[in-house]
Amino acid sequence: MKTKLLLTLAATAAFTSFIGVATEQPAHARIKLATLPDKEAVVVRFDHPNVVIVEEERTLTLQKGVNNVDFSWAGTNIDKGSIIFRPVDEKSTTVVLSTSYPPGEAALTWQINATEARSEKFRLSYLMANIQRETDYRAVVSADEKTCTFRHYFKIRNWSGGQFDEADFITRDGKTFEKGLANGEAKRVLVNRWDNVKLVKEYNYDPQRQSEGKILTDYVLKNAKDHGLGAIPLEYGKVRIYQQDSAGTTAFTGEDWGRFTPIGDDMRLNIGIAQDIKVEFKKMVNDIENRRGNVYDTNEVDEYEIKNFKDGEAEVIFTLRVDGEWEMQNSSSGYTSFERIDNETIKFKVKVPGKGEPVKLKFHYKRLNNW
Amino acid sequence: MRWLIPALMIALAAPAFAKEELVTLPTRNTVQLTIYNSVDLTLVRETRNLTFKKGNNRLQFSWANTLIDPTSVEFRALTNPDKIEVLDTSYPAQSNQMLIWTISAEEAVSANVEISYFTSGISWSAEYHGVLAADEGSMTLTAYVTVHNRSGEEYEDASVRLVVGTINIVEEIARLAGGASQGQREEAYRGMRDAAKSGDSKKDIVKEGLSEYYIYTVEGKETIPDKWSKRLESFVQPGVPVRTVYTLDPMKYSGLTRLLTFKNDEAHKLGKEPLPAGIVRLYKQHAGNRLGYVGAVATEYIAKKDEVKVNAGADLEVSFKHTRRSLKKENLVFQWSGNRQYLAGWDTVETFHIELKNFRSRNSEFELNLVFNGDFTFTSEIASTKVDYRTQRFTQTVNANGKLEITYVVRTRNGSNAKK
Repeated sequence: MKTKLLLTLAATAAFTSFIGVATEQPAHARIKLATLPDKEAVVVRFDHPNVVIVEEERTLTLQKGVNNVDFSWAGTNIDKGSIIFRPVDEKSTTVVLSTSYPPGEAALTWQINATEARSEKFRLSYLMANIQRETDYRAVVSADEKTCTFRHYFKIRNWSGGQFDEADFITRDGKTFEKGLANGEAKRVLVNRWDNVKLVKEYNYDPQRQSEGKILTDYVLKNAKDHGLGAIPLEYGKVRIYQQDSAGTTAFTGEDWGRFTPIGDDMRLNIGIAQDIKVEFKKMVNDIENRRGNVYDTNEVDEYEIKNFKDGEAEVIFTLRVDGEWEMQNSSSGYTSFERIDNETIKFKVKVPGKGEPVKLKFHYKRLNNW
Repeated sequence: MRWLIPALMIALAAPAFAKEELVTLPTRNTVQLTIYNSVDLTLVRETRNLTFKKGNNRLQFSWANTLIDPTSVEFRALTNPDKIEVLDTSYPAQSNQMLIWTISAEEAVSANVEISYFTSGISWSAEYHGVLAADEGSMTLTAYVTVHNRSGEEYEDASVRLVVGTINIVEEIARLAGGASQGQREEAYRGMRDAAKSGDSKKDIVKEGLSEYYIYTVEGKETIPDKWSKRLESFVQPGVPVRTVYTLDPMKYSGLTRLLTFKNDEAHKLGKEPLPAGIVRLYKQHAGNRLGYVGAVATEYIAKKDEVKVNAGADLEVSFKHTRRSLKKENLVFQWSGNRQYLAGWDTVETFHIELKNFRSRNSEFELNLVFNGDFTFTSEIASTKVDYRTQRFTQTVNANGKLEITYVVRTRNGSNAKK
């Protein structure tokens, strides 16, 4: 008597798994008797940025000698070449002898040799396409805008054709949650919560980010332990930002895409435009000098007049860019500090008093050796 | 044989093309497949016992609906060769998938004969699964070979030999076969699911070198029905050392890429034979002998001592920032054209800064290949090597949770300043 095991991954409710014990009739005969091994301990792992690996365990009742195990996955998005089937017990004497693939079917047959008749747990691993994952965050900022609570959600959407009645889902940073997930279903799960996360509010002038010259209001979080984060790299995802109000509730104040933020790096989130701070740009000097043949230098002065209509002082960060070879001149003024970030980029910090009193940032530079 | 195609028939006492014909159907005794993976070619050798009457015997061999090359079919007597002789071979006009040998026997005699031919439609491929240990320092590498049969013929209890290497053929076998149709076996499931004839242990696959090729011989016999594929384990090697190198190589990869590398040599517990081309999939072992997916690469033929690099994509646990800190133009050279002076040559001097951060809990190796154009001079306080005329390489290790900064300067001579 040969044992015939048929494992079928359900594509819809109409498909069910079954195990078959065949009598000594030829294997291709149409009359079969089958028993059904249930899926046990299903794990869906998101280690890889693009690919999902699924592992499931099944207890097989094996006869002594060679057993045939059929596995089919019609209607699901399993990567056939990735399928691995092995006993859970690493010291097992049961061996998979061969794998055969029938024509035109999402199916295979393993020949398994068991040294004795017994029940044995096997683990089936495969890569599955069309299980999408997405990260998003929710920040609730304190009334003084110095701290926030930060919640990390993991959303999965199952278009794989497979059905997960009960599975452990493991995120890239090792968080595990147990859920059922039907084909076509999506779930969003809170995986990390951080409280008292420090944040810095910034007013930014950056023509590359805001071409109309308006001031952007940013919150900057540092992904570091002493700032209340720093446990894991923060994956790219949408951050929805709320602020506590005087009524004890929260108001939605904006949202932004948080870029992937390694530990130690900053996550910058723009919540909108600061309407009470205005900047007017004027080019005051634009001269050509030091001509040598077709080569020349330029002498340029850019002026930014800033007005802050809030009651209190504000600091505005100017991010300005000049292409090519250039040098800042000593007559630049109106800033508290500056930093040349790279060859093209310079940042100025400017203190702006409240109540509309104007201040000027003067940026004097020469572009050298143009032609 | 139920699906005896090619059919071998001994015609008895009837004119060659009479309407009524009495034939016997001698069965195959043995069949051996030698399958090449570089071209669509398989050499089939089959043996059958035949009985010949004294005088001339006509032997008909036909191969309808298969992909056999008619020009390759050969007949050879293995026993009593001195008493049997092939007088001629006819290819009937009404069938391009048949031939008739006229065989002369000195006396009534039985003989074991071999019929050999080339067929297309049978191929084999290799694939590899590597399971990395938790520390990613080593892996268990399992190699598989898979035979695919789309030849139109079922080969039952065949000896299977696989040829690793690239051979030259001047005409495609599929074309010589005359484009015979495939796909005529509705009951091809038979045999593959029948375990009765299987052994009870994994089959050995014996490897031997032959000229420029390697031949893998699968132990025992295999039945491979038409349109089926069958995968067998070729070898399992635990403890293969693996290196993880974060690599920047703009000519090959997009961005900083995690490469897992190993060599097909003795130091890596491999190197016994070349590894045929195939997909290498790497997994990582998690607690409880569970697996995570790392990455895959389709490799070319891996010669002995050659290296394999598996692309595991970007890694969130390391970061790489590359900025140009300054740009200056120097050594401006002017020339005159008539009464006009113009710039003829200049140098650009650029200072770049690299910041590598390793958020992993173990040291990480980095290989940064930087590509420049033109006549340039590269200087850096941290040692680099010249890979080719335009590529400089930094090879550095960054400690666990550590950071490394590299500054380098590139002077590029342009216009009349350029020497290259």
